[in-house]
Amino acid sequence: MAAPTLSTDFAGRRWPLFKLSIRTGLLTVLTVGLYRFWMKTRLRRFYWSSIRPGGHPMEYVGQGIEKLLGFLIAVVILAFYIGIVNLLLMFVSFSLFDGNYAAYVASFVGVIPLWFYARYRARRYVLARTRWRGIRFGVDPGAWGYAWRAMLYWGLTILSGTLLWPLMTHRLEKYRIDRTWFGDRQLEQGGRWTGLIKGMIPFWIVLALVVGFVVWGYVLTPEGTFSTEDSLEALLGGLVISLPFLAIAFAWYSVRSFRVLTATKSAGPIRFESRARTPRVIGIYMLGFTATWLLTSLLAIVLLVAYFGLLFLAVGAEFSLDDLDNLTAPGLPLQLLGFAVYFLIFIIWGAFQHIFVTLPLWRHYAETLEIVGSEGLHDIRQRARDEHHEAEGFAEALDLGAAI
Amino acid sequence: MSAQGFADFFDGKQASVRRVGYRVETGGIVLDIPEQGERLWPMAALREIGDQAVRTNLVLTLEDAPMSRLILTDKAAIGAVRSGAKSLRKGMPVRGLRAVLGWAVGAVASVALIVLVLVPIMADQLARILPAEGERALGEATLGQIQTALADDFSNFVPICQNPEGLDAMQTMLDRLMATGPALPHDVTVTVLDHDMVNAFALPGGQVVFFRGMLETATDPDQIAAVLAHEIGHVAARDPTRIALRSAGSLGVLGLVFGDFAGGAAVLFLVEQLIQADYTREAEAAADDLGISMLRDAEISPAALGDLFEVIRDMYGDAEGIAAHFMSHPSLGDRIDKARAASENMSVTTPSLSDEDWLALQTICNYPWD
Repeated sequence: MAAPTLSTDFAGRRWPLFKLSIRTGLLTVLTVGLYRFWMKTRLRRFYWSSIRPGGHPMEYVGQGIEKLLGFLIAVVILAFYIGIVNLLLMFVSFSLFDGNYAAYVASFVGVIPLWFYARYRARRYVLARTRWRGIRFGVDPGAWGYAWRAMLYWGLTILSGTLLWPLMTHRLEKYRIDRTWFGDRQLEQGGRWTGLIKGMIPFWIVLALVVGFVVWGYVLTPEGTFSTEDSLEALLGGLVISLPFLAIAFAWYSVRSFRVLTATKSAGPIRFESRARTPRVIGIYMLGFTATWLLTSLLAIVLLVAYFGLLFLAVGAEFSLDDLDNLTAPGLPLQLLGFAVYFLIFIIWGAFQHIFVTLPLWRHYAETLEIVGSEGLHDIRQRARDEHHEAEGFAEALDLGAAI
Repeated sequence: MSAQGFADFFDGKQASVRRVGYRVETGGIVLDIPEQGERLWPMAALREIGDQAVRTNLVLTLEDAPMSRLILTDKAAIGAVRSGAKSLRKGMPVRGLRAVLGWAVGAVASVALIVLVLVPIMADQLARILPAEGERALGEATLGQIQTALADDFSNFVPICQNPEGLDAMQTMLDRLMATGPALPHDVTVTVLDHDMVNAFALPGGQVVFFRGMLETATDPDQIAAVLAHEIGHVAARDPTRIALRSAGSLGVLGLVFGDFAGGAAVLFLVEQLIQADYTREAEAAADDLGISMLRDAEISPAALGDLFEVIRDMYGDAEGIAAHFMSHPSLGDRIDKARAASENMSVTTPSLSDEDWLALQTICNYPWD
């Protein structure tokens, strides 16, 4: 008898998501950003409930208020770092280096470990608030261990000129997955990092072409072809043209390594299979962002024309473009309306991005995912609640918003 | 009403899916759970899990068994539950509200402590020991930020006025003040920005910045000399350095609290701080005193400062926020009186610029070929 396999449905539709996104976006603006914790919670509830492995919805049970609490905790700690440490860095930088670049660099470098730390903690929080079939997911503590490993593997990746990127991908995924639980069942990341190498080859080919182009221009030609201004432009143009190819080659790697890593994950006897397709993912990104950009621009133009029309009506003949310099010219209600239009454009952008990029991506990744050997699910028991008071506060404070 | 059928039930203890029979009655939903018998989920304790992607389903939990889930798919049953259960939308009991309040107070207190106490104290101490070269670099960096932030939509930054005759006139005025002036931590450099604002301010490293609007509003060169002398007073006390370091510290904290939602708001705030330079009353008085004594030593009438205030007041009304740097302090009348009093017993005064130089200074933002 073949092992029972669960396929995954995706039930989320665009229009309800659009409405939810607009409504919560408006509330966020009206509350000067306070509602953003609830906005995130509600959007996650929608996305999670859209994903239905075996026909049973995932559930997100995080609360807005705990995100607010986590954010406040992070503010108390980070305010000290950002206020005092940055001031000192600024001072040292201007004293010793006569400029603020050293301060920016030091401040940035100082935040890097915190950034990885926050990423791990945020993932731990989100999974601790995720349930499927009534059972919690969970992640063991280990954020600092993750932070130093991430910096080590990033260092190796950069020093090796991206040759060790697959090693980084595999080791970090293994660190995360081996500490992840579904109920009382621990997940495991198997496979070897060398299994990811093949997916990097297109990226390396493009990279080699770009490096070859630069080397050819600078070193191999006797006078240096790029010495004149025209040829410098040619060099920059070449680099700009190569960026989309690098991005596509990297997307190829991301999707392929996702498939390989999924196939080598296990939870006891349960295994997984992903049939995510690179062309589809790239297509969603390109079409999705194009649609988002076009529709937002269109709506923005309509809104701005309407707003300026209103300005002309209200201020009449006295109004001229010079008044734009003088913000008090149109009077308070119209100024407020102006701000409202400004924020509305951001909200619309966010909503379009949800329905044209995020939702199709999630749908594709969900619908191509299978759970193999699902009879192994029956003896999984509940795990204790992970209180995790600080929630994803650091990630929120450091602006690691990610998709949602 | 009565609706019944089978539904998916999760007990929150194990991962298996149970099909349970149910009946919707007036008192609640009666569940028939295999091997456990019948159980009543009372209407008043039913709660809906919101924001579901599948709108035709109703996902239920129970107030006192928050881990369990019942997923109804039958339209009639959902209708019966919706009309019978009145507190479906009521939130589950919120835990940790007290902790939120505690940390909220803590967050406000720590941000206030850092922005209002620690950062100013440190900035004042650090401003004293910042080497002159570093101070100059800080001033140049902030001038760049101001030029960018005040630019309109059609240019990237506010240009610096460069008409050579105007520059010479400004240098003449500065030389005259400095010839008899005090020793300063920096050589003073004066920059005029091509902008309508009626204002002037000092930056770290001995930079004094005038806006074109200020030069055009003044009716007499001595008024500009008086403003210049006042700003040099701030330079002597290193006031701008203090403000710049302060905002460097508090900016990041405020950005952290409010997020980068409105983008660039933080930089605008920095510029606002520097231009409106909200110095303490003592710092303003000290700058006035040094300014007045410099004017007297250079045989320029300090009364010009009072005249300038009046010109601005006539043009823009009393509390219009123009030249807020000068106007915002409540003791404005006193300061005018002090400036006038200081000029009373002066026997010899000479205008700070010739008519020709004054015209050149006022048109410093014109290109030479205009």
